[in-house]
Amino acid sequence: MKNTTTPLLYMVCLLFVGFLMAAIPASDSGYQVGDTARDFKLKNVDGKMVSMSDYKNAKGFIVTFTCNTCPYSVAYEDRIIDLHNKYAPKGYPVIAINPNDVQVSPKDSYQDMQVRAREKKFPFAYVYDETQEITKAYGATRTPHLYVVQKQKDGKFKVAYIGTIDDNSREPEKVQKKYAEAALDELVSGKAVSQPNTKAIGCTIKWREA
Amino acid sequence: MMKYVKPAMLLVAFVLFAATASLAQQKVSTIKFDELQKIRASPHDTLYVVNYWATWCKPCIKEMPYFEAITQQYKGQPVRVILVSMDAVQDLEKRVIPFVEKRNLQSRLYLLDEPDGNTWIDRIEPKWSGAIPATMFFNNKRKQYEFVERELSEAELQELINKYKP
Repeated sequence: MKNTTTPLLYMVCLLFVGFLMAAIPASDSGYQVGDTARDFKLKNVDGKMVSMSDYKNAKGFIVTFTCNTCPYSVAYEDRIIDLHNKYAPKGYPVIAINPNDVQVSPKDSYQDMQVRAREKKFPFAYVYDETQEITKAYGATRTPHLYVVQKQKDGKFKVAYIGTIDDNSREPEKVQKKYAEAALDELVSGKAVSQPNTKAIGCTIKWREA
Repeated sequence: MMKYVKPAMLLVAFVLFAATASLAQQKVSTIKFDELQKIRASPHDTLYVVNYWATWCKPCIKEMPYFEAITQQYKGQPVRVILVSMDAVQDLEKRVIPFVEKRNLQSRLYLLDEPDGNTWIDRIEPKWSGAIPATMFFNNKRKQYEFVERELSEAELQELINKYKP
């Protein structure tokens, strides 16, 4: 009797845990500040595969989920270029990741990424997360969505900042608070990030339809 | 005979004007965060459906007719749809108002003039990452609240209304 009920009980418990895990909404998953971010291998607009581990001298990265189509992303394109130009020499280059599914958002295709990267002369890698695996792992929900990661002594990438670029998407000249720059300045000077989480309105990520 | 024509025409014109005016779209009022908080704190036994959208947001525009249909369907009932635009206040005249006029929107309309999302998103809903569309359903009298940060289908919206309408 005991032999038959025990495995059954285990099964019920496992099922219960499974239900609990399934009930956790997607927005609560993904990285929090302090977590280790996984590396990736994604196709850049130049056809080459890009990983964070390829950049031997980088101290970290400004991993930016962005796309061709979201007006907020477009409004921030020049500021993302500026971020790269300012912080790549200090060890923190931008890697831009397009998370959007091409079926749902046709203008976010790889070919359209190439066109946009050429038009804007992106000085950074602009890669495509075609399977959306990296976007899900990071927990990005909108574009643009920044994850500043810092390389640790053991080579792992620790998330130091999650959020937005600044406090005014519409009018760059009226920006008062440069949230991402403040975080990067602190990292570059070896300090802890004082405001590691910020939020902004943005476009939803266009998830592949089941 | 002729002297009655002019007043009659005026009367017809007035009636036509009044008729179209009553069908005219809602005005868009610009609000700050404290006014949004007041709406969120409305004490009435009413189901409030507050939808955050923008003219540039495709999925928002896709789901907008469903919200408009709810406004029509529950006229005179304690269900109130409020559409809160995330467009920049600079775009009110040339983008938001033409959009509202073209679609003849009948739900209550606001434009939230708060460019820095970081100062208010967490205060209205910590679970919100900032992506739109997003919608809040609440009836404070009955202590009911639900938040959805994604595009809704017509059936999903109707289901939520059925669940909460007083």
